[in-house]
Amino acid sequence: MFRYSFIISSVIAFIVTATGQIAAEVTPEFQLGARGVMSLNTDINNDQSTNTVSDFSDTDLMFGFRQKMYNKLRGQLVIGFQFPDAESDLGQVFFHQTFIKLESRSNILKIGRSRVKTTLLDFPMLRDDDALLLTTVLNPFSDGENSEDHQYGNVLEYAHLFGQRYQLRFHAEHFRKVPEVPGTAETDFGLNAVGFIMQYRVPESQRWNRTTIQSVSIGTNNFLTDRPGFSSEYDQALKNILFGFVINLKPDPVHFWDLRSQTIYNSGFEEVQSIENFGDLARAEAIGNYTSIRYLYRKLERPTLQVALLGGYKKYPNANQPTELLQVASNLFYRIGENFDVGLQVQYREFSGDLRKIYGDNETRIQLSFIYSVDQSWNYQFDDRESLLNLEHGYIP
Amino acid sequence: MDRRNFMKTGAVVSVASLLPASFLSPEAIAAVSDRFPKPMTPILDGDVKEFHLSVDIIQQEVVPGFKFHTLAFNNQIPGPEIRVKRGDKIRVIFKNKTELNHTIHWHGMYVPWRMDGVPYVTQMPVMPGKEFVYEFIAEPYGTHFYHCHWGTLLHMQAGMYGSLIVEDHDDPIKKQFEYEREYTLIYSAHDVNFIRQELNAMLDRMKERMYLMKHGRFDKERFATFDTKDELIEAVKKGYQPPYVTNRRSPSELPQPNWFTVNGKSYPVTPNLLIKQNENIRVRLINAGTEEHYLHLHGHDFWLVCDDGVPVPQPWQMNTVRLSPGKTIDIMIEGKNRGIWTFHDHDTRRVTNNGLYPGGNLLALVYEDTPADEMELPPMTKKMGLTALPVVALDE
Repeated sequence: MFRYSFIISSVIAFIVTATGQIAAEVTPEFQLGARGVMSLNTDINNDQSTNTVSDFSDTDLMFGFRQKMYNKLRGQLVIGFQFPDAESDLGQVFFHQTFIKLESRSNILKIGRSRVKTTLLDFPMLRDDDALLLTTVLNPFSDGENSEDHQYGNVLEYAHLFGQRYQLRFHAEHFRKVPEVPGTAETDFGLNAVGFIMQYRVPESQRWNRTTIQSVSIGTNNFLTDRPGFSSEYDQALKNILFGFVINLKPDPVHFWDLRSQTIYNSGFEEVQSIENFGDLARAEAIGNYTSIRYLYRKLERPTLQVALLGGYKKYPNANQPTELLQVASNLFYRIGENFDVGLQVQYREFSGDLRKIYGDNETRIQLSFIYSVDQSWNYQFDDRESLLNLEHGYIP
Repeated sequence: MDRRNFMKTGAVVSVASLLPASFLSPEAIAAVSDRFPKPMTPILDGDVKEFHLSVDIIQQEVVPGFKFHTLAFNNQIPGPEIRVKRGDKIRVIFKNKTELNHTIHWHGMYVPWRMDGVPYVTQMPVMPGKEFVYEFIAEPYGTHFYHCHWGTLLHMQAGMYGSLIVEDHDDPIKKQFEYEREYTLIYSAHDVNFIRQELNAMLDRMKERMYLMKHGRFDKERFATFDTKDELIEAVKKGYQPPYVTNRRSPSELPQPNWFTVNGKSYPVTPNLLIKQNENIRVRLINAGTEEHYLHLHGHDFWLVCDDGVPVPQPWQMNTVRLSPGKTIDIMIEGKNRGIWTFHDHDTRRVTNNGLYPGGNLLALVYEDTPADEMELPPMTKKMGLTALPVVALDE
């Protein structure tokens, strides 16, 4: 298994201290992103018992700093933290975003802690991990105690854009290992996953120009495991293939409909034929699909009401007994102020075969939520790559 | 060094010392004419002079190394000069090549009210891809200008302006001052960040609105456009929230210009005024921007001869003239003191590029016939290995 080390942060530290200067003549653009997700979750269990908890996981705060380089590059530093899932082993606060990005018109390099490429699409759900088992490639190094292990990691990404709508993205990650290997855990930044994504995507700024296709993507995610009994890196790799698309059912500015669908195939390890724990869940052969239909009502040129119907199915063909997961969900979000939503979401999950050992027969969750998002920038100095001016009237570096 | 300290340091540098002798090179003199708006040649349709104007989005390089997206008449900033004789019949065919709405207002002209270019008052906006024909008689005499009157705060500072000169066969100023050469200087001020953000927002909004318009779905509240004031008031009573209320828009600062241009350029590529000893030149000053300018000429007085195009009863001798937004002022400069003299905004905040002095509204009155021996380089310049007084882009 090959390993690389993250050395970038130490290189930057060396430059700053080596020159002894940090120029103050360029005040960077300052970006603030915040999201508060507060919900009352009522779970209805197999035995019809219920329990209700308040949940503020996924609440996060991010700061960004961005400026032009001496050449045609732009540089950005993002630092962000979130409040992780309840009962996770991540502590009270988890730094989910800490990265530096360098980008030109057609190249993007990103290094640091950030979202990993375990999914191609975002689905219209209350929280990013609400359908994690179906929407995300699972981290086989995790013990399943939290969802962050599958969504965030130490990443090294390079993307090349062909024109404005095609991109090829190579990514390598260090996924968190739990339990930690003594002597290596917190300091181990070796890469343990690699993959790539090919994508056709119409930029968001051109949403009223895209008639049908918003995006089509295909990607791979290969975890470099220590699979017992195999020595070659190919055999040790846990291979996942992802395919996703987003199409407009009705690209109307007032009554907008779209459909999102993503299929993930996990080639699995053939020796994993029963699912006893989370490690098996991530390493067993599986194929799953998740699809959503969304209606968005936009009054006064901004979102007012969103209703979505979502569903997914996953099966484990190599399991000794038929093992399947079915999930349906529906939600409604109503905007009561700029970026302030009230939402109601209902999810039902049904498990069969080995999955019952982990999750039980079924579960229903009802969530009443309040979501407040902030996305602001100050000290603007230059335009985004995908602004309408840059896309349609010539790019200014 | 922070900006405040920098400005303090920069202000003590003599502006005159920054102007290069290379301004007198044949190439520089030849290039000067390119920095003034060129008059359009009209198409004659009987006794009507017909002009064609269009607007598109271009990139304007205001100084070497810095450009931004702008709106431009006929792909130039300022737009081409319309120069006609008093009493001429004028037709301007205006084509909108952008995805935004526009009109043209003829600033200072006695046009029929339907030709005045005020959207929703005298005409509907000229929508994307559409044309509008303006017709009027060229009255009154003098220095005027034209500009877009839709989203005026953005569209004007984004570049939609041009000079409109109405000449008289019996020019009253020529009776007072003999002159052959004249120059037009159009001043503007640009908050390039405001321009960029608002242009993007307007383009986004218009794409959405054009989609709806194409399907015949005009919505008064969505478009924030009502038939009457009473209709707006009634809509607000019923719960409609206009775009300006604080739950739709937080209080934000108005544009703070950080680039200042003369004929679409900032120092060191601003146009220079050429003059000869004992020559009179007429300079037409137009303020198409949002800032006041206090234009000061070194080494000379000049004569204010027209205010808003109107000849003043008695020319007024001065060396600093106040040019307010929307004003035009004509001055006569007498060539009485040869050399190279700066002509600049004495509110030196406008002699900056992105906050750095010198820049912006700084140009020179250049005597073409200054003897070569008077232009000899100071010894220090030679020691520095320079072949001419330098063009200074930044003050360090």
